[in-house]
Amino acid sequence: MDVTALDRQQATYPLELCASSVPLFQSYLGSVPIVELKRPEAYLGGDGFHEFVYFPVGGGPEFGDSEKLNLVPPDAAPDYCISRTSSCQMTAFHAAAMKEEREDMILEKMESTTGSGSRESFTKRKAEVVADQKSKDKRIKGEVEGESEVKTKCSTQVSRNSSKENSKACEVQKPDYIHVRARRGQATDSHSLAERARREKISKKMKCLQDLVPGCNKVTGKAGMLDEIINYVQSLQRQVEFLSMKIAALNSSVEFNVENLPIKEFPAYVANFPAAAKLPAMPSLTCFQLNPMQKEAVNCMLNETMHPPLTATEGIASASLSIPEQALSSSTITQLQPFSTWNMDPQGLYNVYNMGFH
Amino acid sequence: MKSSKVIHSTTFTTKYISYLVPALTNIGSLRASCDVDEETKKMVRYEVDMALALSAKGFAWSRALKHKLRLNYNDDDRVGDGHGEPVTKKPKTEHEEEERMMCLRKLIPGGKEIMADDEMLLSELGSYVSCLELQVNILRSMLQNN
Repeated sequence: MDVTALDRQQATYPLELCASSVPLFQSYLGSVPIVELKRPEAYLGGDGFHEFVYFPVGGGPEFGDSEKLNLVPPDAAPDYCISRTSSCQMTAFHAAAMKEEREDMILEKMESTTGSGSRESFTKRKAEVVADQKSKDKRIKGEVEGESEVKTKCSTQVSRNSSKENSKACEVQKPDYIHVRARRGQATDSHSLAERARREKISKKMKCLQDLVPGCNKVTGKAGMLDEIINYVQSLQRQVEFLSMKIAALNSSVEFNVENLPIKEFPAYVANFPAAAKLPAMPSLTCFQLNPMQKEAVNCMLNETMHPPLTATEGIASASLSIPEQALSSSTITQLQPFSTWNMDPQGLYNVYNMGFH
Repeated sequence: MKSSKVIHSTTFTTKYISYLVPALTNIGSLRASCDVDEETKKMVRYEVDMALALSAKGFAWSRALKHKLRLNYNDDDRVGDGHGEPVTKKPKTEHEEEERMMCLRKLIPGGKEIMADDEMLLSELGSYVSCLELQVNILRSMLQNN
């Protein structure tokens, strides 16, 4: 795999924007030390089932980092495939100042190593980048505290490294630029640079997918990994097909008891619901008639657990059976939209839905 | 307005369940008197897929899936395996990578129509795989508890 210096910047814009942004390259000539960057993996949980997964559209950001630096604690999620934060994605830290610094260094280096021709084009590019940077800086939305953590650690890293390596250290913002370093003897015309940048992006995404798809670690090479991914997607789709068949088979006879999950976390839901926790008339649901077997099943389940149910079924049942009011109040769950209004405890919920997939 | 590109497993799961369970109940009541037949299976499969598309808004594949479902449903076609695509074999020939990418395009909803460039395909694949995993998990747990 190409060992390149990467100043990867995240484009968090819709695809249309990303597609129109011009990738910007800064090419270095001469032999400069190139550090291979590893992505720190911030996995959560041990079952391989990520709590949050982030898939950017357009350029994917990554943190370049040396192997030694443990960049960020899992909470700050440097790995863009996995993020523990519940807000928008981890773009990068405010590296405007740092970027400028980097660019200055790059400019210096360019001037010293290359001829004037590239200097001019580079200056132009630099201006573009800066302009773009500023416009996109404004659009950076509320960052998470993890980001500032990342920033501090990144800046530590940056200050520690030599100046030549600084440009590879950490990630920045929105513009979808891949900075590609040309190795000795490689072509530096715009086409091959573009091609190289494209390949870099693709290999980044492949790495991301590698984390996601089990069994990819053993396979080397793009084709093998793609094979694994294909197999995995096919197997998942087959499973969905199979499970939905089973559900269809069961649907008419038994009700689905999602509530039998470890439900000690459920009261947390209910506590956060709006005050309209009275027994609603539920006009939209009264038309459903549970057959006796269904009622039985629901009733049994309700009796054995005093926890509030979560489904519309429960809501229906509560209309037709006498159920303690606590259970009834939770029937409003089904009518609440959007779910983002819930103050969920992510960790608790994660446990709730942790079915030990792997 | 584009929603966030982050897949939160908890948000997805709750959304998915909130879409699916009422829909299943609906089907259950509508088909209560019939045996489990093709029509029921088709309806359930539709709801299962639609719940996926609705729970993961903001991705090209989810839009494509929604679109495809609505088209198929109106045309009274069966939504088959892999959202209408046959299970394809792995390519072993030259241009391996390209063929595999083509294969992936067939697997992901909207792959052939929308994701012309590889980069986008891989991005979308990531979110699609995560959502599929979550979906399988949810469905499995729904069945387990019966």
